[in-house]
Amino acid sequence: MAAANNTVHDRVEQARVELTPTQLAAGLALVAALGFALLFVQEPTLHDAMHNFRHTAGITCH
Amino acid sequence: MFAAYLKRGVKAGVVAGLVFGLLMALVANPLVAFTDELGHGDAHAAGDEHATEEHHEASSGAAHDSAVSTTVTNGVSIVSGVLWGVLLGGAVFGAAYYFLEPAIPGTGGTKSYLLAVAGFITVSGAPWLVLPPQPPGVEQSLPTETRILLYGGMMVAGALVCSLGGAVYGRLRDTHGRTTATIAAMLPLGLLAIPAVLSPVNAVESSLPSELAVGLTGMIVFGQALLWLLLAGTHARLRRRSVDTGPADIAPSATDGTLTAD
Repeated sequence: MAAANNTVHDRVEQARVELTPTQLAAGLALVAALGFALLFVQEPTLHDAMHNFRHTAGITCH
Repeated sequence: MFAAYLKRGVKAGVVAGLVFGLLMALVANPLVAFTDELGHGDAHAAGDEHATEEHHEASSGAAHDSAVSTTVTNGVSIVSGVLWGVLLGGAVFGAAYYFLEPAIPGTGGTKSYLLAVAGFITVSGAPWLVLPPQPPGVEQSLPTETRILLYGGMMVAGALVCSLGGAVYGRLRDTHGRTTATIAAMLPLGLLAIPAVLSPVNAVESSLPSELAVGLTGMIVFGQALLWLLLAGTHARLRRRSVDTGPADIAPSATDGTLTAD
């Protein structure tokens, strides 16, 4: 098992075995949603509520 | 094995996120609010301000152009800060570290710190070359849409450049030795200068005193650097602990191998 973990390719293979497509999709969706909400959403209420955070994180906004 | 890696990444993210949330609450929130106040006071006539104070929305103490109250802004900003740490921890130190671990140069904790440097360059450093962090109340010439695209584009560029550096190091280490490989791995970072020069210029106009603007920029850079440092430090520590509890003394994968076998 340890020998099978030595390259990036092996890791991808192993992840394919360990994770179901549903888990993978759910994980990606979660990261994408959270990342998009924190970084880029411009909806006024949300944007203004995160105003201080976005400035502090140096993220471009309004 | 993936679950163990992800858990470690998220744990590191929670630790770093909580500290970043504390920085938000204690330093950033009051500072940004003060700067907003100052910028607004300069932009509008004083009489204007008194007139709007009659209206509840405008005088609720919020940043003056804000759609929500100060309390909400402060609260959501703190929570966002914590989530920011958790997101970076989970995505970078959980998932990305799992896949990239064999390719990241160095051993043990060094990998965590190198990944943190790459993460900082990707998420903040590269975009900041085009769009430096701005204090609130600054007028920027580029429209928001363009800036979001530029920011996202530079994140992609940062990730590519860091991967390229890692790949160069891996390719050259065995044939040319560590020093040469390290120097060569630094070179791709210079590629970031190309999009930085080619991108449209974002002229800014600010009425803030320059000392305050410089101080705010310093706090922003410091905050992100601190976040990544904490992520890497916590991650390296957790990783070492998990290696110590297992039989393996060289490769962490051996420990994780037994975990998977369970």
